[in-house]
Amino acid sequence: MTLTAAEHEVTGWAEAVEAYFERGWTDGLPVVPATADAVQAFLEAAGREPGDVVLREATRRRSITAEKVAINAVMAGCRADYMPVLLAALEAMADPAFTLHGAITSTGGSATLVVVNGPIRQRLGFNAGGNVFGPGWRANATIGRAIRLITLNCLGAQPGLLDRSTQGHPGKYTYCIAELEEESPWEPLHVARGLPRDSSAVTVYAAEGPHNVLSHYGETADAIVVAIADTMACLGSFSPGESFVVLAPEHVQILARDGWTRTRLREALYAGARRTVADLKRGGKLAGAVAPGDDARWVHRGQGPDDIHLVVAGGGAGGHSAFIPSWSRERNSLAVTREIRA
Amino acid sequence: MTIRILDPTVRAEEGADVAVAKRVADLDGKVLGLLHNGKVNGDHLLDLVREQLAARYRLRDVVVVRKPSASRVADPDVLDRLARECDAVVTAIGD
Repeated sequence: MTLTAAEHEVTGWAEAVEAYFERGWTDGLPVVPATADAVQAFLEAAGREPGDVVLREATRRRSITAEKVAINAVMAGCRADYMPVLLAALEAMADPAFTLHGAITSTGGSATLVVVNGPIRQRLGFNAGGNVFGPGWRANATIGRAIRLITLNCLGAQPGLLDRSTQGHPGKYTYCIAELEEESPWEPLHVARGLPRDSSAVTVYAAEGPHNVLSHYGETADAIVVAIADTMACLGSFSPGESFVVLAPEHVQILARDGWTRTRLREALYAGARRTVADLKRGGKLAGAVAPGDDARWVHRGQGPDDIHLVVAGGGAGGHSAFIPSWSRERNSLAVTREIRA
Repeated sequence: MTIRILDPTVRAEEGADVAVAKRVADLDGKVLGLLHNGKVNGDHLLDLVREQLAARYRLRDVVVVRKPSASRVADPDVLDRLARECDAVVTAIGD
């Protein structure tokens, strides 16, 4: 196996770590120096040749080979057996529906949320439980980080250059969760999106950060739906774009107990997540002055119930779900799901 | 201990399809294209550009095209039309 990436000689491990900083090749945190031995092991684990093109981004004319994916995966701290997840995520990001160039450069400052489903969750040790968006699990942390390093190093989306995020958000360091399928009364995300139950899959989504939905004391489905729909209707993120709702186990158990299905929940959230035209104008979300009748004209978040994607994840205790708005305010970037071939 | 680290970066591909268009010395008798990126006020910005250029040159014609979305690249049909019909094109980000 012959690698083609340029090599830079340094005198030791600590110097190698510094060399990445000096060359502007990190996300601001130290990386694992990527040597030829490590990169070859990653490619072998993935069954890929160094020159295989994994992703082509047409706007900036970048072709990312399996070798460059492996180099950045080593740097991010991945294990070799994470490669199939990373490759599937990049394949999904290459789908024209994702609009990769816009998603990684826009002032909107999105990060690529990666949601993992299927048996690979246990095999690679993904966290789908407590602190699901937080630190502590290598698979979540390093796969999300590898996506960011590839965005920086291979797609040219460096802050201030191509990445013109006004603020960005912390998910731009890493943003990878797994679904807690075992605690869900409903079909998991990848099945809802057309894949077989026993397959493993990634779903990528150009996303804002998670908005907490705390609802503790209603203890009914109705109360939970009111709280989630209200969060989804917040002016700051309001748009006709897609939504992810990451349901806490406690919330989804109450919903199931009260007889709610996925379909009913999506319909209720679509119906409830709405604002008047007057509100949208007052908040600077629509141009123009408030006109007679604007207080009675309603606009919904998204274009329909199908724009709301449901995932179950989080710890056993606590009524904290999350609403994650899309970066895209229209149809410019949509969630994409791909099977993981491992 | 010597360590060799591998370059993780990817550069843009060189391609024949991205040659820079022939420059025009002025716009007298020329067709001006205006490609609006679809964001709010982008049209106003391009209107001002059009006024300024029309005051300075005798434009033969102006072709105005609007992208449906700022985030997505223009359709090949749109780019082909601009290339075919225009001598120079101005595009703008308004917001």
